[in-house]
Amino acid sequence: MHDYDVIVIGGGPAGLAAAVAANESGAKVLIVEREERLGGMLKQCIHDGFGLRTFGERLAGPEYVERYMDRVAQSDIEVACNTFVTRAEKTDGGFAVTLVSREGLRTVTGKSLILATGCRERSAKQVFIHGTRPAGVFTAGTAQHFTNRLGVMPTKKCVILGSGDIGLIMARRLTLEGAEVLSVYEINPTPSGLTRNIYQCLTDYNIPLHLSHTVTRVFGKDRLEAVEVCEVDENYKPIPETAERIECDALIVSVGLIPENELAQSLGVELDRHTGGPVCDAQLMTKVPGIFSCGNALHVNDLVDFVSESGAEAGKNAAAWCGAKQRRVDISIGDEFLYLVPQQLDLDSDNSKTVFYFRSKKVVEKSVLRLKINGEEAWKKTYPFLRPPEMQQLTLDMSKFDIDENSDVRFEIEVVK
Amino acid sequence: MKQLVCIGCPRGCRLTIEEKDGEFIVSGNSCPRGKAFAVSEMTMPKRTICSTVKTSFPDAPVLPVRVSDDIPKDKIFDVMREINAVTLTERIGRGDAVIKNVLGLGVDVIATSDLLKQK
Amino acid sequence: MMNINSINRKLNKKFGGAVTAELTDNCIVLRGELGDWNAIVDAGLTAATPHSDIHVVNDIVYTGAQPEKMHMPTLNDKALDGDKPDVLVIGGGISGCSVARELSRYKLNVLLIEKEADLALGASGRNDGEVHPGVDLSKGSLKHKYIRRANHMYEELCRELDVPFKRTGQYACFTHKSWLPFVSLYAKWRRDHDGIEDTRIVMGDEIRKKEPKISPDVAFALSNPSSGSVSPYNLVIAYAENAVHNGARVSLNTAVTGMDVHAGEIKAVYTNRGTIYPREVINCAGVYSDVVAQMAQDRFFSIHPRRGTNSILDKKTGASFGTIASVVGAKTPGHTHTKGGGILHTAHDNLLIGPDAVETPERENTATNADSIARVFAKQKITMPTLTEKDIITYFTGVRAPTYEEDFIIEPGRKTKNIYHVAGIQSPGLTTAPAVAQDVAAYVAGLLGAEKNESFDPVRKAPPHLAQMNDAERAELIKKNPDYGVIVCRCEEVSRGEILDALRSPICVPTIDGVKKRVRPGMGRCQGGFCSPIVTKIIAEYLGVPLTEVKKSSEQSPVVFESKKGGRGNA
Repeated sequence: MHDYDVIVIGGGPAGLAAAVAANESGAKVLIVEREERLGGMLKQCIHDGFGLRTFGERLAGPEYVERYMDRVAQSDIEVACNTFVTRAEKTDGGFAVTLVSREGLRTVTGKSLILATGCRERSAKQVFIHGTRPAGVFTAGTAQHFTNRLGVMPTKKCVILGSGDIGLIMARRLTLEGAEVLSVYEINPTPSGLTRNIYQCLTDYNIPLHLSHTVTRVFGKDRLEAVEVCEVDENYKPIPETAERIECDALIVSVGLIPENELAQSLGVELDRHTGGPVCDAQLMTKVPGIFSCGNALHVNDLVDFVSESGAEAGKNAAAWCGAKQRRVDISIGDEFLYLVPQQLDLDSDNSKTVFYFRSKKVVEKSVLRLKINGEEAWKKTYPFLRPPEMQQLTLDMSKFDIDENSDVRFEIEVVK
Repeated sequence: MKQLVCIGCPRGCRLTIEEKDGEFIVSGNSCPRGKAFAVSEMTMPKRTICSTVKTSFPDAPVLPVRVSDDIPKDKIFDVMREINAVTLTERIGRGDAVIKNVLGLGVDVIATSDLLKQK
Repeated sequence: MMNINSINRKLNKKFGGAVTAELTDNCIVLRGELGDWNAIVDAGLTAATPHSDIHVVNDIVYTGAQPEKMHMPTLNDKALDGDKPDVLVIGGGISGCSVARELSRYKLNVLLIEKEADLALGASGRNDGEVHPGVDLSKGSLKHKYIRRANHMYEELCRELDVPFKRTGQYACFTHKSWLPFVSLYAKWRRDHDGIEDTRIVMGDEIRKKEPKISPDVAFALSNPSSGSVSPYNLVIAYAENAVHNGARVSLNTAVTGMDVHAGEIKAVYTNRGTIYPREVINCAGVYSDVVAQMAQDRFFSIHPRRGTNSILDKKTGASFGTIASVVGAKTPGHTHTKGGGILHTAHDNLLIGPDAVETPERENTATNADSIARVFAKQKITMPTLTEKDIITYFTGVRAPTYEEDFIIEPGRKTKNIYHVAGIQSPGLTTAPAVAQDVAAYVAGLLGAEKNESFDPVRKAPPHLAQMNDAERAELIKKNPDYGVIVCRCEEVSRGEILDALRSPICVPTIDGVKKRVRPGMGRCQGGFCSPIVTKIIAEYLGVPLTEVKKSSEQSPVVFESKKGGRGNA
């Protein structure tokens, strides 16, 4: 017998929703969280705008996630905080997870595993910023931790690289807290964050956004003293003649998120190179039977509501999973996609409410999304516009199509000229 | 004619607003919230603020807060000054008021976390 | 022998009279003015004879840029004023710390001073950590004299000092099979004539059986199984900690500002922390060793700084490549003096790619440049085609301290009697340090008539690294100290207990970088994104100071500033 039916790794919004859903399906659930408190990154996302879909309210991050924490507290879900998964292994018919905590080491077993490990930020070095190594180079999330959880200021006067949502949110946060945000630079010709965040975080506070620009260098041996900013050409190469030195005490980078799947990989889970997350079927089960993925570990979402929804889906299915053999078919995508999740369908599962998440690779105007089965159009939908920062969610009854194991199932986007 | 981006939800509709005979004609919105937002942007723009207040508890040096309803945009930094003046000495919970009727604007500054209760 | 006229003829031909050489005090002194740094280096190399003990002193004035200012500690006190050590070691790199530790085997009052906020902040902490076999060193050089003796010392040394070390072996790869007969002869010569006894030829297929990532284009390689990887900064810190354990003293943030020299003897050494009166001074000042020699009125060589940049790849890559490999004969632009660089499995199981070699007038400019990385990757992809810049998690630049003769200087002062120079230390200076330090310490101890320190303890314990232990050992330690069960750095699996151990270590450097070097939080793939606020908090709590007092590295590098909150008291 296993110690648990479902072991959820990660106590952020995805893991909490997964645990609640699995528990509601009657499963015995353990949540493993490495931090002192549940809540994941939402503990520091103190801005509002969470929960419009789920609760019909505009909540701050902690408010949103604490509603799930309350539900966990009222249930018989077991929670292990301050606990780190040092390794996980497949066993006969389940999984053994070895945990490290103040109490020592222990190994727990579970029938299924939900990986709700979230994502990490790309660092300044990973976008090849050169120069010295002074204090004052932060990822937006690190700056957010200092500001919102520890109550100290990472900067008095800074430049932000990257117009991802966390970068935009931090531009406003730091301004409200009395810091001077000189500019936001974005290497792409279009913003990376949501349009409304450009408006309410930058425009409202007169913070300029420079597109097709990047930070190439930092200066200062002790604390950061200045950065070098360059315009980039169409191949994202900095144009040296446009180099400008900007005096500031910090560089805050918001240059992308990477799903955390090191544990998944150690279990042999195959990752999708487009999402950085596991290849899954519509039930969010990875290619390793019994391992499920959800939230930002599966793919980087821009709304926490979607994170919770995928968590709930994974939780429900992990609880129900009984080791049945699967018949899977791949879903391929056209070049116009940044990615599409799920990447597979299990033909023996109920696919009548398959939820797809996708992003386009580029900003496009009026477009047609087409599902083709064996080269024939089976379904289509028209979108007024598609933008990479704005993830699309789509629920489709996949059971009504004639799909077998040898079918060629493909989504394509056609831009209407 | 003015162009705006609706901040009502993540959809970020691009709104166009025109004033005609004292009336606002809004287009580009996908829901009534968009129209309301556009009109309020033209008359009295309002925003929410989220921030933190200092506490006297070392386990949680700051507590997240927000205003219970939107406030006039031009009062943001005035309200921030009030928020920055506070040091919490009580372990209050989510939804509890930190500042009641801040600057007489008819909204409270409320805690958005049970952080202090959980220690 | 040195013919100054022939040197002047060569210089005249290259620089048209802008540079002249003169034989003064058995040194070749170059004078003139040039605006191009590479030309100044070229003049130095033109005038120099490799491995000669008649050194080039390059006094050509560089007009191309403002002279670089030395990075100085802000500290100003009298903590060391009037201190009278038997031996003052200047420089907290591998040379200084190993010498201090070897000196602590004798009954001597040893004081080591380092101007930076931590040890190993120069080339000693910013290199690839290779323990070299010496296959490229020719007989007659000091480098060659020490290499085999030192290379063999590593297992025992790293066991004593508890420093990560791996005997990885090394392949110098060749892509042209036609070179095989020549390289075979070379290998035999190295083995039989130069004493590099482990040199042999290995064919490509045999290499790929062990290292499948090696390119199919590699036909054969010169193999030296005695090569290894050591954690360079951990070795320096371990040496210093063991020296302190045995009675030596280490003073950080302490810079030499001048010396009082009379009648060929150093009477006093001035620092920002007071005046020191040593009996003997050992110059281990790295890129500034010629400047220290000048202060001691004993300058007979010049250092020409040479930058090298290394990249560190995600640990995932380290799992599939367990050796050191490089390609021989590949042309790379901008290539000057370098050991060639390569792909190296580090002592911490990452892969390291690099270094390159670029001459620079700036002794302390460790800023990185994009072209260095591009250059190094282009070259190393020949040996490992799957290599990709996408796996880079960080990169760093070190500045080597070569002389124009490109050999070490390990000798007593020529004009000033109570100084000993350990200078011109560049690759393989990390490898040779353990042997060099023994000899230097023995010489200096003899000079001062010091007795053996009978209570010398060679063993130093590093903070435990729990992630590398088996479950039973780990559980046992957590039972003793539950803080070992609280993981702070998820990428490298470093616990709060290990961080506190680093803070309690014999040479406490309570900074983000100091802790990072000792127990690795922030060394992993997220580069401290998640753990740096927590580490900042642990340091602040340990020191009993607000977060705003915690530094990244030096005194002038605060991590965060105060917020404007909490003005008015209770709500």
